[in-house]
Amino acid sequence: MNILITGLITGSMLALLAIGFSLIFGVARIVNIAHTAFYMIAAYTIYFLSAKLGVSPFWAMLIAVAVVVALGLLAYRFLIDPIREHEAAVLIATIALAMIMQEAMLLIFTGDYLTVSALIQGFFVVGGVKVFHQQVLTFVVVLIILAALWLLLMKTNLGLAIRSTAEDREVANLMGMNESRLAMITMAISVALAGLTGAVIVPLAVVSPFMWMEPLIIMMAVVVLGGLGSIKGSFVAAYILGFTEALVVFLIPKGAFLKGSVALSIMILVLLLRPEGLFGVSFEEER
Amino acid sequence: MLLEISHLTVRYEKAVLINDLTLSVDTGELVSLVGPNGAGKSTTLRAISGLVAWEREIKRRSTSGDIFLDGTVTFDGERIEAIPAHEIVRRGLVLCPERRRPFREMTVLENLLAGAYLQKDKRKSRETLEKVYALFPVLKERTRQISGTLSGGEQQMLAIGRALMSEPQLLCIDEPSTGLAPIMRQEVFAKIEEIKRLGITILLVEQEVSTVFKLAARNYVLSSGKLIAHGRGEELLKDETLRKTYLGM
Repeated sequence: MNILITGLITGSMLALLAIGFSLIFGVARIVNIAHTAFYMIAAYTIYFLSAKLGVSPFWAMLIAVAVVVALGLLAYRFLIDPIREHEAAVLIATIALAMIMQEAMLLIFTGDYLTVSALIQGFFVVGGVKVFHQQVLTFVVVLIILAALWLLLMKTNLGLAIRSTAEDREVANLMGMNESRLAMITMAISVALAGLTGAVIVPLAVVSPFMWMEPLIIMMAVVVLGGLGSIKGSFVAAYILGFTEALVVFLIPKGAFLKGSVALSIMILVLLLRPEGLFGVSFEEER
Repeated sequence: MLLEISHLTVRYEKAVLINDLTLSVDTGELVSLVGPNGAGKSTTLRAISGLVAWEREIKRRSTSGDIFLDGTVTFDGERIEAIPAHEIVRRGLVLCPERRRPFREMTVLENLLAGAYLQKDKRKSRETLEKVYALFPVLKERTRQISGTLSGGEQQMLAIGRALMSEPQLLCIDEPSTGLAPIMRQEVFAKIEEIKRLGITILLVEQEVSTVFKLAARNYVLSSGKLIAHGRGEELLKDETLRKTYLGM
């Protein structure tokens, strides 16, 4: 039971992170290493607003997402966009960006571990296991976000343009889709997802300036397993990894210490056996 | 003239892909562009549809070599050689690219709707969709099918249909028959003729010269980026050297 709950929640969180990361990679070929750093910023914003200023947690979450989107767009406009065609430069720039955010949080909030109280208190017992209401809430909210994202991508004109550009940006261009504008919009959606992940996970997690590193690695493993750029792949792979992680933590003695290595082992295995991932498409070479 | 290309030169770094090309297409015409591989046919279509201008933008930003474009392209009275691709479609010029390139992960319907991306009036795009379905009944049968699973011929129909969804005045088609079975080729050519009868001007790039010469009123022969000859099919075929050296017949 514990495995199921932890697996579902970890999986959902990973799905949100990995889909956001995949989206911007798919549309603009941007590998945004700072993706999970935005998630950290959201967590800190919520901590600051709710614990220090007494803003209600719900509003704190919304403001946090807005802050992260604003930061993401600024970073895109002034840091990533000018060097967008240099993949390696983008990689380095976003690593630097993540470091800057980490150090900024370290300066402002020090390295202390911080916590945010749960939105709703209490728990119920299923099969002898305590299930906190907050866990259920987080899971439900994640499902709602995923559903909204699915609707946006599959049922709107914007979603059609995003998917078209992700698949073949040259042909999308021929159809009248403005690729650089779409990249900007996708960046906003992508970091909003990172911010939302931070927002829903913060009552269950510890806030620290280094909290972006572990999810970054696991998220990369998810993206590799699911296939780079595939949204469906990210979704499925997130739950696979979420459950694997939960299994390892609960079934192997001292398994918690193996968490990180499990993700990395899966990543290496996938790269060795099936580099394109579960649902990966081998990208057609662009001229 | 609907389309006028005048002294167009396109250079990637030092490689000259098109060299001082001048050609024109009148409203309602079906004009072909033929020639051996690497003659600059596709680059010509990429230049007029704005892909070269777009690519130049990207290269400038990445400093990975420059694209040089000189000369003018006039469409419907407006200079368009510097306008990027996504801005050109709305002016009524669309390219159906080489190798068809459907959005493989999307359904047939989604592909077609992507073609009508700029048409914000849903009722109008619905009407255009019906026209495209009337022209290609096979697409209607496969509305919900993922386009990557279509046969080559069907994918070609889809690519043309998708281009038509933008309601173009001028449709540029790049090598539609390449890689198709002979029967499928004939069908694709029949469809192209039908599109011409609908009043849409067509600029066609093709390898299969014998069929194209019957279809097109005028033909331009390119080689190494240069215009070699221009005229009606039967006239061009009378020229022995031209036929053997450039048309491979």
